[in-house]
Amino acid sequence: MTTAPPEPTLQPPTPTTPHFSPSTPPPTTSTSTSSSTTFPLPPWTSFPPFYTLQPNLQTRARQYELWSTLLQTYARHHTLFRLSLSSPPPNLFSNDRLNRALKPSDVRALLDHLSKAENGGVVEWIPPSAPSSSSSGGRAEQSQAVYIWWRSPGEWADALYGWVEETGQKGAVLTLYELREGEAVRGKEWRAMEEGMLRRVLGVLVKRGKAQVFGLESGEGVKFF
Amino acid sequence: MASSRRGVGLGAFSNAAISSDQYARHGAALRTIHAEALSTQLSVFQAALHNFSLTHAKDIRSNPSFRAEFARMCNAIGVDPLAASNVKGGGAAGTGKSVWAKMLGSSVNDFYFELAVRVLEVCRETRNENGGMIAVGEVRKRIEKGRGLVGGGMEVTEDDVLRALDALAPLGGGFKTTMLGSTKYIRSVPKELNADQATVLEVIQVLGYVSVSMLQANLDWERARAIAVIDDLVADSLVWVDSQAGETEFWSPASMHAG
Repeated sequence: MTTAPPEPTLQPPTPTTPHFSPSTPPPTTSTSTSSSTTFPLPPWTSFPPFYTLQPNLQTRARQYELWSTLLQTYARHHTLFRLSLSSPPPNLFSNDRLNRALKPSDVRALLDHLSKAENGGVVEWIPPSAPSSSSSGGRAEQSQAVYIWWRSPGEWADALYGWVEETGQKGAVLTLYELREGEAVRGKEWRAMEEGMLRRVLGVLVKRGKAQVFGLESGEGVKFF
Repeated sequence: MASSRRGVGLGAFSNAAISSDQYARHGAALRTIHAEALSTQLSVFQAALHNFSLTHAKDIRSNPSFRAEFARMCNAIGVDPLAASNVKGGGAAGTGKSVWAKMLGSSVNDFYFELAVRVLEVCRETRNENGGMIAVGEVRKRIEKGRGLVGGGMEVTEDDVLRALDALAPLGGGFKTTMLGSTKYIRSVPKELNADQATVLEVIQVLGYVSVSMLQANLDWERARAIAVIDDLVADSLVWVDSQAGETEFWSPASMHAG
């Protein structure tokens, strides 16, 4: 072992940077329309390097894991299904108290990583809607938003089918609107789920032979068996 | 001389021989009696210790302060509850089990082996995060919290963790403890820290983070030296980088889960 440097002489030369104190609970200033309680931020969001993509790939892999956990719990808490890069939810990718934030390019890298199936497919890039005329030259317009699968499509399918069974609606025809916005699904977790996501979930049920989707565009119907 | 009163004549010589012979025989008799008494005592004591560890197995396993006292008692009388694999009792111990393992039953041993597995798990789980350097206290906290849903936590002391680590020693190294500043760390990857790296880690432990200029100012190092050491630490994933401060800062992952 080496001799320890005399401790009292060690002073950070930049005392202006907010010093990280592990004992103070992280402030939760985020508010949301769907939930009145504040989201308890995990302790590592008070760790400044969390907001800088780590150059060491092993460390970064761990960092991505932590972000994945944070994103999922955050989305679940706020029942958030869609995340737009242009207007990300407040206090998710940044910590005002520490004056730290994940750079937009890093956010994209993170979401790219999480969108891969081998990393759990927690998010899914939403293809840019109608191909805009202005980007005729570009190969593909970069996607600006993701779905957040804080439950996997399979899990949602189970939940949805369980509800259908419970409420005795097997054989009945329900519209997509009813499944997302209807009175009957009030209080259900998938209420107000993005339509694109609901289609994926129904796709899972169709594959399992438990549902059939028919009708076109508006007024699509689903029949469960 | 053996006797103060010496007879006269040649007979005195044989007298002396006879009496020393008698002394020797008496001595031997005394010694056997002592040895017998001791071995009875020992077997009584063994039985008592065995019974104790059996009747209190539950306490030993679940109550950290009780366990600490038990370990202290074992230490005081020169019993290492973990010595099982090293101290092979001669013919008497029989089937490869140590005297103590037989005496104490397997519950104490099992406890530490079980704990050792958890320690190993924690070290492995967190390796990406801390590069294989974890404070003993952090290990203890994580073990207490348990691993999510499966199996509850174990209430242990840092002493227990270190004891469990000793139990892993026969499996070959890889797990070493190092002091950094005032904190004991477990090193679960076989790389050795050089003196400079250890110094920087100590500084980080005190301040929470360092920057290159801090190292220059406080340790009187050349800039190149500070950069080289830090680069090594980053490459070994022992520190995390924060590039959003005025000057790039390097943080210890140990503070990440505090709070």
